[in-house]
Amino acid sequence: MPARTRAALASIRRIGCGLAIAAGLLAGSPVHAQESHAPDAALQRLLREAQAAVPGECGKPGIDRLVRILCSGRIRIGVRDHYPLFSTRSGETRQGYEIDIAQAVAGKLGVAVEFARVNAANRIPMIADHKVDLAIATMGHNTLRDGQVRFIRPHYYRSETIVVGPRELGVADWKDIPGRTVCGTVGNGSNTELVSHDARLMLFDDAVSLPDRLDDQSCTLAAQDDSFFASYFTDPRFTGRYSAKFGFAQVPWGMAVNRNGSERLGRALDLMSQIFHRDGVFLASARANRIGTAFLEQQATVWARPECNNDTGTTNPACILPALDATLKPTVFADSVTAFEAWCASRTGIDVMLPMLKTAPAWSLFKDGIVNSLILVTGALVATLVFALGFGVALGSRSRLLRWPVRGLTVTLQSSPIVLTLVIAAAIIHAMFSYSSGVALGAAIVALGLANGSNAGQAISEAVLTLRAERTALPMSGLHLFSRALARSATQIVAFLINAAKGTPIASFIGAPELLSALTDITAFSSGRVSTYALLLIFYTGVVMAVVWLCGRFRSFLERSHAAV
Amino acid sequence: MNPLSIPALSDFLPLFLAGMAVNFEIAAIAIALGLLLGVLLAATRVYGGFPGIAAASLVALMRAAPTFVVMFFLLNTMSREASASGGQFAFSGIMTVALSLVPYAGAYVADSGVDAFQQLRRGSPLAGLLFLPNIARAFFVLVMSSSAGAAIGVTEGIAVILHQAEYLPSLADKLVLFTVGIAFFGVPLQVGFALLTLIQRRLGRIATRNQEVLVEAPRVT
Repeated sequence: MPARTRAALASIRRIGCGLAIAAGLLAGSPVHAQESHAPDAALQRLLREAQAAVPGECGKPGIDRLVRILCSGRIRIGVRDHYPLFSTRSGETRQGYEIDIAQAVAGKLGVAVEFARVNAANRIPMIADHKVDLAIATMGHNTLRDGQVRFIRPHYYRSETIVVGPRELGVADWKDIPGRTVCGTVGNGSNTELVSHDARLMLFDDAVSLPDRLDDQSCTLAAQDDSFFASYFTDPRFTGRYSAKFGFAQVPWGMAVNRNGSERLGRALDLMSQIFHRDGVFLASARANRIGTAFLEQQATVWARPECNNDTGTTNPACILPALDATLKPTVFADSVTAFEAWCASRTGIDVMLPMLKTAPAWSLFKDGIVNSLILVTGALVATLVFALGFGVALGSRSRLLRWPVRGLTVTLQSSPIVLTLVIAAAIIHAMFSYSSGVALGAAIVALGLANGSNAGQAISEAVLTLRAERTALPMSGLHLFSRALARSATQIVAFLINAAKGTPIASFIGAPELLSALTDITAFSSGRVSTYALLLIFYTGVVMAVVWLCGRFRSFLERSHAAV
Repeated sequence: MNPLSIPALSDFLPLFLAGMAVNFEIAAIAIALGLLLGVLLAATRVYGGFPGIAAASLVALMRAAPTFVVMFFLLNTMSREASASGGQFAFSGIMTVALSLVPYAGAYVADSGVDAFQQLRRGSPLAGLLFLPNIARAFFVLVMSSSAGAAIGVTEGIAVILHQAEYLPSLADKLVLFTVGIAFFGVPLQVGFALLTLIQRRLGRIATRNQEVLVEAPRVT
């Protein structure tokens, strides 16, 4: 052996001895003592204890679900069937980020995995009914659900709602949202935030229809979880046409188990989740499935920190994320309303639901909606009458200079569908004033007044012409002629006043916060749509019938006032 | 590219015309259903008695029901998972808008039908025939009203215009686009109304001539 080689080996031996001594010292140090508090060790202890109960306790009632899983050698995990990139099924093959997590969990427990199909509506009942041991099913963790299932922390993912629209559309943040229509899904928790930023909601039952609605141009903007759009953004055609404008309403996603009888299982899953974050298991799976990784990268850093990487990390507020606060403050009479709903259901079998009376935000929207609707109806009636008089005077004038431009305006207004007239009025008014509910109400009043007032004004001017033709021999003062014309065209004036009142709900299209708009916002975050819209129909039909009655009195007054002449 | 440039307009116009076809389709469905319902209600009103009173009350309710609210009511009740013969069905957006217009169309047909029947009873068949131009007038009103479909995602003419307007930065450009829309809706409407006026005048002249003949007839005999 050459001398140089011997010297090198001697050096390696010395380094090896040094390392061995250092390792020995380290083993006896307090740092090593901390190993027993590592989440891995805690998980192993927990699993050992559970294994010790197998098979002795397998037949006993009330055993923890962890022991039951070990006894049966399988874990039943609820997953979704069609949530691209997260959990999809093709025949017997399942794939996606959540499927990877399910298999990793089963692997740690040393059991087989049995998948069960769940959806957004039944995932919590399936856990509560013990039909699945665990759900990994795109479930956002909020304070309302905390009372229904036990969420595993740390969370395995975090989504946010993103607003998606055509690439060339200049929408960058909330300041670009007021007055715009945003398509979303019924019951989505983030709808409240869109409403609070003066967006007009167009709601669909199912998120799957949103990309189609963007394509067929029914929707210009769509708001939904980024996890939902993740698969679409892997499609070059979709990415070429649309982009995510901005995000909001971040929601952590959690695995969930039953609140009762799953204490050990929950604890084991907490520790596993913690380890998966620290070791990059979640992150690697997310990358493999091409989903967003920003949250998981940040969590990997958090769970590697000494204060989090221990067996108490999952209860440390500095390490875990809070649940999304989705609790809506109830009204003082919420209990009475609930009791009334129950009474109706038991006595009549009809499920009457009154969400607008049960929570403070809904009640506030409802009250404002009624007040604004009444203001709108009154304003539309007054505006129609004022414009009718104005158009009547101008169209009945002998001056062509006045008559012809107004006739042109009348024909234009008659040719414009009311929705378009409203949008034009809103566009012009918004160019002068910044968006607000009051401005939207004002624009709606002007548009409804113009559309109906021009028609009523034309009727007045026609009456003026007939009166002039009939009374050429009898000279009449201008004022007297006009008041006679009003009496003669009373039926037409009243018809267009009623039409104006009937048209007021269309004001919701330009963001006027009347009752239809308010109730659409309320149903966007609560249930009971059938009762809510039935109530709306009754309200507006009642208001129009009241207007019909009042207009009947008004017509009688107009006709009576000139009956003697 | 200016969204109002020729290439952009060449993309927009086919979409817009297809959207306008949807407006006419909605109006056609609504008037057909309105005719069925309205004629039935008119006949019941003419029949009189309790059924007549009930029919008149129903027509008053239908007249008072705001189309836009009816549309949202249908959208959120009937369009959902309603059960039909044990199965599930859902109305399309077009059908939802068309159905929301039926109360108006039905009430209008019922009122016009009763008027026409009374004219026929009075021995004025031509005045009774005014029922037909009245129905045509209702059809044009329905075409304009069908634009409410834009609020529930139906891709009709106004929805196409509003989508295009989203890309226009200035108010002036938007107003030009809106004017194009008004012209496209206005021309058929105004032509239709002009035709109706002509028909009504012609019917009026025939009626006057017939009346003169009827007045002269006794003298001849």
